[in-house]
Amino acid sequence: MDIKDRIHQQVTGHRVALYMKGTPRFPQCGFSATAVQILKHCGVTDFFSANVLEDADLRQGVKEYANWPTIPQLYINGEFVGGCDIMKEMYHSGELKKLLEAAVPAG
Amino acid sequence: MVRPEDIQAWIESGLPCERVEVAGDGAHFEALIVSAGFDGKSRVQRQQMVYKALGGRMERGEIHALSMRTLTPQEWQAQRG
Repeated sequence: MDIKDRIHQQVTGHRVALYMKGTPRFPQCGFSATAVQILKHCGVTDFFSANVLEDADLRQGVKEYANWPTIPQLYINGEFVGGCDIMKEMYHSGELKKLLEAAVPAG
Repeated sequence: MVRPEDIQAWIESGLPCERVEVAGDGAHFEALIVSAGFDGKSRVQRQQMVYKALGGRMERGEIHALSMRTLTPQEWQAQRG
């Protein structure tokens, strides 16, 4: 499968998808660690994540898919939300929690 | 090594800005960018405009990490109180 198709399937097949360096348990970059912490603070513990450090095609692919040159990248219901800065801003303003609550049914 | 003033100059040359402040240590940088061009744009679109102004330097890894705040002049005024 083409890398863009693979990414499309991943982001549309999961309510919340995070492309990161490392894993949620063992992030390998401060920005990716922050992204995971923000999701946890928003009550999201179960989300799709992919480690771009283990897959060079994916690492390049997600940058082109979102026209976004950095990792992490957060998607909600297939829509690119942003990287670490935007996640932080939207977390502090409360927007991210609202967006996640609307996307992920409680319980 | 990339200096904060380099990043500031690159952003200013690619994007009309009211204000650009960049701080950093050569690997990690933080920028405040105030531009009327951000008016009506989403956060994602604003950062994409800055990345574009940087002309592929993020993509090529010349700039390792750049955190940014992107504000319109009105938002900047409001934040300063």
